[in-house]
Amino acid sequence: MHKEIADLINRNVQGANAVAFLAADKKTDSSITVEASHIYKVIEFLKNNKENGWNSLHVISGVDYMDYMEVCYMLTNYDPNNNKGILIVKAKLTDRVNPTIDSIVSVYLAANFQEREVYDMFGIRFNNHPDMRRILCPDDWQGWPLRKDYIAQKYYNGMEVYPDSKMNMDDREYIVRQEMIKKAQAEKAQ
Amino acid sequence: MQSRWDIGEPEPRTVNSETEQLKSELLTLNMGPQHPATHGVLRIEIWTDSEIVAHAIPHLGYLHRCMEKHSENLDFRGIIPFVDRLDYLASMNMEWTYVATIEKMLGTEVPRRAELLRIMTAELQRIGSHLMAFGTYALDLGAFSPFLYAFDYRERILRLFEEVSGARLLYNYIWIGGIWNDWNDEQISRVMAFCDDMEEEAKKYHELVSMNRIFVQRTANVGIMSVDDCLTYGGSGPVLRGAGMKWDLRKNEPYSLYSEFDFDVPVGTGEVGVVGDCWNRYIVRMKEVIESIKIIRQVVAKLEPGPVMGKVPKVIKLPEGEVYVRHECPRGELAFHLVAKQDEKMPYRLKVKSPCFTHVSMLPHVAPGQMIADFVATVGSIDIVLGEVDR
Repeated sequence: MHKEIADLINRNVQGANAVAFLAADKKTDSSITVEASHIYKVIEFLKNNKENGWNSLHVISGVDYMDYMEVCYMLTNYDPNNNKGILIVKAKLTDRVNPTIDSIVSVYLAANFQEREVYDMFGIRFNNHPDMRRILCPDDWQGWPLRKDYIAQKYYNGMEVYPDSKMNMDDREYIVRQEMIKKAQAEKAQ
Repeated sequence: MQSRWDIGEPEPRTVNSETEQLKSELLTLNMGPQHPATHGVLRIEIWTDSEIVAHAIPHLGYLHRCMEKHSENLDFRGIIPFVDRLDYLASMNMEWTYVATIEKMLGTEVPRRAELLRIMTAELQRIGSHLMAFGTYALDLGAFSPFLYAFDYRERILRLFEEVSGARLLYNYIWIGGIWNDWNDEQISRVMAFCDDMEEEAKKYHELVSMNRIFVQRTANVGIMSVDDCLTYGGSGPVLRGAGMKWDLRKNEPYSLYSEFDFDVPVGTGEVGVVGDCWNRYIVRMKEVIESIKIIRQVVAKLEPGPVMGKVPKVIKLPEGEVYVRHECPRGELAFHLVAKQDEKMPYRLKVKSPCFTHVSMLPHVAPGQMIADFVATVGSIDIVLGEVDR
């Protein structure tokens, strides 16, 4: 199924470069990866095409793989006579400092809250989103919590929210290592 | 794109009067986070034009407990109690969905008795959750006694769950590979007695509330969510069925042993009000209680003695890859997106697709033009649990 859909996308959306990943067995799910710059056109095509339409967006999920970040769009088709299950469409983002991708709110309104959550947790900005604010964390929270290199801020509005005594050992090691690197760099500069 | 959320500053409206020019402006009103009609810590900022809601903005996150971040540092069995705390009124369904996600990746064979008992507990939990929805919804609309009737019967379910799992609300009962504890014959006979009583009791609820003149006036033709709205916003469960679409994962994508059972999928028919309004969403839940009773009776007829726990490795390690599993929960479709790495004892990423979260995002769509009291009825009718919205 995924191969045909990938071909369909490639035939109709120029430059989408859709690649189907087929799972080896029934234990894991297959998916389709497309170019991040063409995600809006791909999703719009998947919703509106007559051959193989997907009429609803289930969820948008982000995953941080360290080298790159991935935005996964789970599409589904609510139709009692034609249940096609879930289609996972992915877009890879390699820029960690300022990751951006086009918003699909004008295709599925469900994307409004979902994209805000991805922004809140991963710091991925969505272009043309009507209301790009944090949704679960407070507006003035620092950092992107679900990134793998995240360390919680120590103070929030003057309150100590992450005291040393309750700190995760990995985080403590990470901070110590970063400080050592900084010190070494400073010494080198002198 | 012109969007609902981008309407800028509230615009003052001028009224021409014979004597003087009166100026009116929108009033900002906070509903919640400590409001008796919001079912938890949901804050909705409402801009009102006298008694009419012009605009509603939900503010989430008051119950955010970083569940997704925590689960990246816990082993696969240790996450089950955290999953309980998502939708604390339907913990069994939450657990089952999560456990099914792991079992799909492990390829575990679950014994038949365990599968049947899982269906039974999940359907009992569905009844309990719908009773809670019924009671609190009537409470929102100003009727106090249905709440007490509903709690009386929900209590019988909780007592049963307490006996088999040891807890009343957060069970940690459905485990990877099966269930923790078997039900004995005495408990099963009590389940059957409960089903008989509940069927009679449901008739009383219909007399008391469903066709009650005041209740119908408060809910019929209020907060209409059409099928198209549900599709574009991702609404599911009773919201989608109340809008008239016959979609239920138990029928359309039968997981577990649901294909063996005979039951109907109730949809909103518009016998009162129009399809997709608050009354139709409410009646779908009440009809689902009867369907759940049907399923439970068939489960009990099929029960045979046997093991309730399958063979699961002591330390669970999943193959590399990702999986997306969805189940039909009382409030809609719950799904887990799990990414696992080879030879790691913890998930690399666990994303929860919560039905209530998407339903909250529908509120700004239905709110404009409603009376404030009708808006309270609308918020109640989508039956949200904030534990699941904020995670």
